[in-house]
Amino acid sequence: MTEPNDDLMILATPYALHAMPQADVEDVERQLADAPAPVALAFADEVRTVRELMARMSAATAVEPPPELRARLLSAVDDGKVVELRPQSTRWRTIAVAAAAAVVIGVGALGVGFAMRPAPTQTAAEQIYAAPDVRTVSAQIDSGRATFVFSRERNAGFLVMNDVAPPKPGTVYQMWLLSDAGAASAGTMDAAAVSPSTKAVLPDLGNSTALAFTVEPPGGSTTPTTPIFAELSLA
Amino acid sequence: MTVLVTASSTLRGVTADLDALLRRVAQRDVEAFAAFYDNTRARVYGLVVRVLRDPGYSEETTQDIYLQVWRNAQGYNPAVGTPLAWLMTLAHRRAVDRVRSEQATSQRESRYGAANVDPPADRVAEAVIQLDEQRQVNACLESLTDPQRECIQLAYYEGLTYVQVSERLAANLATIKSRMRDGIRGLRKCLGVS
Repeated sequence: MTEPNDDLMILATPYALHAMPQADVEDVERQLADAPAPVALAFADEVRTVRELMARMSAATAVEPPPELRARLLSAVDDGKVVELRPQSTRWRTIAVAAAAAVVIGVGALGVGFAMRPAPTQTAAEQIYAAPDVRTVSAQIDSGRATFVFSRERNAGFLVMNDVAPPKPGTVYQMWLLSDAGAASAGTMDAAAVSPSTKAVLPDLGNSTALAFTVEPPGGSTTPTTPIFAELSLA
Repeated sequence: MTVLVTASSTLRGVTADLDALLRRVAQRDVEAFAAFYDNTRARVYGLVVRVLRDPGYSEETTQDIYLQVWRNAQGYNPAVGTPLAWLMTLAHRRAVDRVRSEQATSQRESRYGAANVDPPADRVAEAVIQLDEQRQVNACLESLTDPQRECIQLAYYEGLTYVQVSERLAANLATIKSRMRDGIRGLRKCLGVS
């Protein structure tokens, strides 16, 4: 027996499993919007059930993540521990503050529940984590690891470095945002800033395609003077 | 950190705990977030690594998933499903998006087309996933026909669309859709999910 809606209902499974090309997803959603309520409800119910099933199925593929991930996540959401690097210029700081103000307004508009809570002053890092387009890239640096969480929409990123060897005496690490226009300094870190871990907000990503690190004399340089020793692609 | 799930608790218990935790996460409760992570991390990371086949990408994607949880906990709607289903749907979506964008940008098909990388079961904390449950789920997967299991493997665990599955298996689209539906029905019946 073939019901008129069989062609639609059979799509509930691939829809729930994210196994449809985007164009087909949009097509199904259009059909559902036009379908009688019982059909749309039956489809939604089927999708819900398949997703509950896959939640159960997740027991079969469970694997413990690396333990460092927990610490990274918790420091990411725990605003009390965020430190900002010394900015290289006042312009840098002004942009950061302006961006932060703009973001707080944006978040406040999201929902009454959020806006009504007492002074949810978000740190710059929180705003990055809260961005809809937040992305994470990371790289091994010798024995340590650098992780950069960034948002193009917020035009800012948050750098966490754990167990990276500090720069040799008389040198600093300098961060650079690389773009077609060249390398723009994003701040320096001395031994005290690096060890044992660093958290820093980098505003003004612009159209940079990578975050790179070099060794420079104290105070930093205007352009990189040594080869890049680590690079995180932001492309 | 509080351990909310003991080896004897059932999935129902986990779900009830997750519901309460997620409500606290929505209030920006870092400790609740940590507990939520501890109760679900193996499921999430395990699924992501199964789909992405790359520990580095999987770590990044898992981090993004939990940041999304932190950000969107207040948007969780119990009417749409349990917190675990909400989380695993979100996790799968992000993993699949990552696979598709990597495939689109780099064409490193071989990376994802490789043979199954089945995780060693002993790496999973017993407190989080009951071994009984794991055995039951695996037994149910085994109970499917080979074509059904293959369809679910390719679509869900490799992130292929049904169009790609039909190309991979040289079968027509209607057949693939039916196999997918029947495979899922089989699993539902086997696990008693209705």
